[in-house]
Amino acid sequence: MKTVISLLAVFVFTLLAGCITPHNRPTYIWQNYSSSLYNLKKTPTDTNLKNHKELLLNIIEESKKENCRVPPGVYCEYGYLLLKDGQKEEALRYFDLEEQTYPESKIFIKNLKAYATKNTNKNDAAKIDDGKQIEENKGNDNKPGKTEGN
Amino acid sequence: MRNKAVFLPIFIFLIVLISACAPTKIAKKDAFPEMYNERPLSILVLPPINVTTAADAKEYYLTTIAEPISYAGYYIFPIEVTSDILKSVGLFDTEIVSELHLQKFKEFFGADAVLFVKIVKWDTNYAVLAGNVTVGVECVLKSTTTSKNLWQYDGIVVVDTTSRSSGGGLFGLVVNVVATAIATAKTDYVPIARRVNYLVIRSMPYGKYHPGFNIDRDVEILPRKIRTHK
Repeated sequence: MKTVISLLAVFVFTLLAGCITPHNRPTYIWQNYSSSLYNLKKTPTDTNLKNHKELLLNIIEESKKENCRVPPGVYCEYGYLLLKDGQKEEALRYFDLEEQTYPESKIFIKNLKAYATKNTNKNDAAKIDDGKQIEENKGNDNKPGKTEGN
Repeated sequence: MRNKAVFLPIFIFLIVLISACAPTKIAKKDAFPEMYNERPLSILVLPPINVTTAADAKEYYLTTIAEPISYAGYYIFPIEVTSDILKSVGLFDTEIVSELHLQKFKEFFGADAVLFVKIVKWDTNYAVLAGNVTVGVECVLKSTTTSKNLWQYDGIVVVDTTSRSSGGGLFGLVVNVVATAIATAKTDYVPIARRVNYLVIRSMPYGKYHPGFNIDRDVEILPRKIRTHK
């Protein structure tokens, strides 16, 4: 009798386990990324841009401290803001970090770096030409540190 | 005889258990078989197609999508960077994106899949005594290799902003009308958009960075078209 009941208990547990979907997920520290970016879109001021940059850096540092993978795109976005600021070398370093963390970004980072090397400033010169090359346009002398107007 | 007396309640218990899990659900592998065939690892989010009258919905919505997709286990390309690039080549309006472009997204970004989002609701309904704010999206994930639809889902979240707080009488009514108007006008779309995203992306099979990658085939989800009200 005991074995029958214990077998049934196992059966019940199996059933239960089948119903509970695993709710664990990758551990990322995003902090309030979404709100910060939203603020920047809503009111694109220098202060909000500065705040957003600080937040990105903070995400990177906190992730390292907590031994988490830096969320996808964060290294790259931070590097991109540095690039807009004219800090090309630093920008490339962050692009590399993105690729090291996420090998899926390899092709993208390669193309982005090609673009960065051609254009030391600003972001309005990228061009997908037959899907392969980013070509430069003009506008190398645009002021750094400005966000795109919405 | 004694056995039967034991089994009966246990069987009833089992049936109750099973029925609690069962109705109208579908396993992820049956809902999105192509997703398991192709196993995309990286997702490029295109600027949404906005069919609402809110001109700013597109930019604002894009601030909400990276987190949920990363939590589903995918590599998501940095939207701030990819949007700039797409803008510069005149592809910020994705209504014009065709299959030819899909191939280019693969070549230039190395993206396995591209997410098309259509914003179908981004509005406020206000009718003196009642108000609500609604955000709704339809999502389609397309393969850049086969152009097939890998996953699609949609969701709408309606947030009720009707004020029912104060007491009765004419004065109470007036207070409520004013409170509803203020609450409706002040309700922010972006937190609602975040809830819609979580609702929708919950159904997506997990990607490489999720601990459930490849073992979620039998996880059951609700078929498309969910509405939640609050």
